Amino acid sequence: MSEAVVFENVTFTYPGAPSPALERVNLRIEEGSFVLVTGPTGSGKSTFLRAINGLVPHFSGGTLSGSVTVEGRSTVSNAPRALADVVAFVPQDPGAAFVVDRVEDELAYGMENLGVPPSVMRRRVEETLDLLDIEPLRGRSVRSISGGERQRVAIAAALTVAPRVLVLDEPTSQLDPQGAEDVLAALQRLVHDLGLTVMMAEHRLERVAGFVDFAVGCRGGRGVAGSTAGRASVVSGPPSEVLEAVGTGPPVARLGRLVGWRPLPLTVREARRAAASAGAQSKVGAASAGAQSKVGAASAGAQSKVGAASAGAQSKVGAASAGAQLIHAHLSAAYGDRTVLERVALVVRPGEIVGVVGRNGAGKTTLLRSLAGVHPASAGSVAVQGGRAPRPGSDVALCPQDPDSLLFKETVQQEVEATLRARGKAGPSTSPASGAETLLEELGLADLADRHPRDLSAGQRLLVAVAATVAAGAPLLLLDEPTRGLDVESKARLAGLLRGFARAGRAVIFATHDVELVAEVATRVVMLASGEVVADGVPGEVIGDSPVFSPQIARAFGPRWLTPEAAATGILQSGSTPASVR
Amino acid sequence: MSTTNPFYLLPLAAVCYFVHAARGAASAGPQDKRGAASAGPQNERGAAGRAGSFKVFVLFGLVALVTRTVLVFFGPVTPGSVVAAALEGLRLATMLAVFGTFNSVADPFRLLKLSPRRFHEPALAAALALSIAPRTIVAAGRVREAQRLRGIDISGWRALPALAVPVLATGMEEAVTLAESMDSRGHGRGRRSRYRPERWGAAAWATAAIGVAAAFAFVGADGALGGGLEVSTYPLVWPAASPWLVGAALSLAVPGLLPAGPNHV
Repeated sequence: MSEAVVFENVTFTYPGAPSPALERVNLRIEEGSFVLVTGPTGSGKSTFLRAINGLVPHFSGGTLSGSVTVEGRSTVSNAPRALADVVAFVPQDPGAAFVVDRVEDELAYGMENLGVPPSVMRRRVEETLDLLDIEPLRGRSVRSISGGERQRVAIAAALTVAPRVLVLDEPTSQLDPQGAEDVLAALQRLVHDLGLTVMMAEHRLERVAGFVDFAVGCRGGRGVAGSTAGRASVVSGPPSEVLEAVGTGPPVARLGRLVGWRPLPLTVREARRAAASAGAQSKVGAASAGAQSKVGAASAGAQSKVGAASAGAQSKVGAASAGAQLIHAHLSAAYGDRTVLERVALVVRPGEIVGVVGRNGAGKTTLLRSLAGVHPASAGSVAVQGGRAPRPGSDVALCPQDPDSLLFKETVQQEVEATLRARGKAGPSTSPASGAETLLEELGLADLADRHPRDLSAGQRLLVAVAATVAAGAPLLLLDEPTRGLDVESKARLAGLLRGFARAGRAVIFATHDVELVAEVATRVVMLASGEVVADGVPGEVIGDSPVFSPQIARAFGPRWLTPEAAATGILQSGSTPASVR
Repeated sequence: MSTTNPFYLLPLAAVCYFVHAARGAASAGPQDKRGAASAGPQNERGAAGRAGSFKVFVLFGLVALVTRTVLVFFGPVTPGSVVAAALEGLRLATMLAVFGTFNSVADPFRLLKLSPRRFHEPALAAALALSIAPRTIVAAGRVREAQRLRGIDISGWRALPALAVPVLATGMEEAVTLAESMDSRGHGRGRRSRYRPERWGAAAWATAAIGVAAAFAFVGADGALGGGLEVSTYPLVWPAASPWLVGAALSLAVPGLLPAGPNHV
């Protein structure tokens, strides 16, 4: 089998950057591989992906040494357009990458440029519309469709040119769990049937672990403290080894680390097997003796790190439920004559962290905008303490799906201070600078305080936007899809911040497709479907045994545990094999 | 060739309003209306962007008219100079109204599919350029809401950076993403085929014919049809108008009455 992508001793530095973003990268990707590109937020994944089709260095500028070849063609001597017939690229923000207006024409655009005969174009458009299940969208404008639909259309538009290599930057970040699974399964079919090579960056490892057969780990680059000087910035190999090397993994892998399973399980099946064989070899006792301390250490430091401390959170809710209502909503909402929310009733009290889940288009964003007081209710009302309508920005703050809408300052620090100043939190006792520093510290952004927000990675920008929104000091914080582009560690920091926020007598409502975040941090889950609340309760009840929305740990071991920490504690304490209940 | 004759400019402005009213809503077509039933916020904002861009252009037109007229008071003021300035302002306002109408009524990407192959590149550039205004308006709405929800009030000049910087910076980043995307997808390789070009139907031909005829009428106005494109303001006299040219201006309303064009071949 020949090689689809070859990096030979590649070092790349952005113009004006003090250190390389990629350093001494050597790797060979076989044709027909399904490759995961992973690594912390801002570690150079996007740079690596963009080097595959020549956007780096042709569009980025900077200096590249070594060689990158795709299907035998050098990306240095060939511009991206000259590689368009062999490698297709789907960027992180597909909305901005659409060229023409109608979905169907967008699918044809790349083929038109390559001079594909009209009859072939027609056939491929139809096939691809079916493959990604977007036929009903064919006549729609790409600017009118939802984020999840855009991701499907962008992937479809990349596939119509029949590339040999498909490069995807976080292709499922806006898809609901079922939608992500469908898209990944469609790609896997092309990998198996046609020998397509897929190179995909993705943070939601639990979604992709079962599909990929090779991994590339990025572990540092521009602006990351303790940079990579002197070692290769990229490792590659079997997924479990690479995830081990970059110190990340899906929830079952984190469980595996806590209880000492080797090799690390990545999928639900592997986790069940690991648990079963650990039981069969009667090593559980020995393992638990050794690992107990690990778990203890992990959960002791858990407040700022992972560890859910769900017992603590639970009691907080109990204590809070007697208290005041931060928001009281009973409403319907519509766009034009189309009903989006149908008699949704929601009361949130201090100390609660509410996760709102539901498939694409279920009305999650509209619910948040209605609660924030910027989308009028078509019937019913929304009230905050005192019975009045919420004042946007002071009673309720909302961090939007698209963090770039907020960023307007020169540095990360100023961005947060701008909110504090606007909200009059710049009193003589607490200067905005110290308030901002505390927040940035909590979110792990202290090292980036002097950087320009727009120079940061997508995930880092999102955290800055979260910090700028939290700084408003509103008692109710709303977050719309707050984990796009976030690595596991950043997500844990975000979870810690939200817990602290709730502990201070305030409350959080976040809409997400990320069920692992829900499992980790939510004290309550609201499930929406077609604009109606179909379930509302504690996470274990609502998503614990859901075929679509259950977190990976619950899939492996049943609804009693939702997070790796809970499962590890349970497994080690019971000393028994966590035989699957399903 | 341009005119400051209000008897031609005012009918043109009226035609703009009529065509916008007749077509602004209809141009979305049944497909997009069906779309509106399932997309929610995005679609809502997309439609608002297009309707909003007409309003913005008309608003700019009125600002231009007033500003141009007011400027005259910084110089020698005579009845003639005031009228001359007002008419120039009117000309500018009418041009902006025409542009705004085109923006709100015509789908530049469908025109792209009607354009002959050799004009593809300039037509695509024009279509992308025309889509900037409505997209910017949508972005401004999104940024205003986002900043408000973070506690930064976007009213008054001091808050302008909070609105303008995200809109412009995101616009620039999106432009770079678009350029990268076009290059990555083989734009400019030289060889090109066409996917389902649109056929020129009766309505398209009629629209083009009326536009060409009206243009010829105004070009030929200096000779055959009697002048009056430029209004004399010194001495200030009541302008003369050719009924033919008024008719030519009004004929541009006809495309607003034609049935919507056919779909794909």
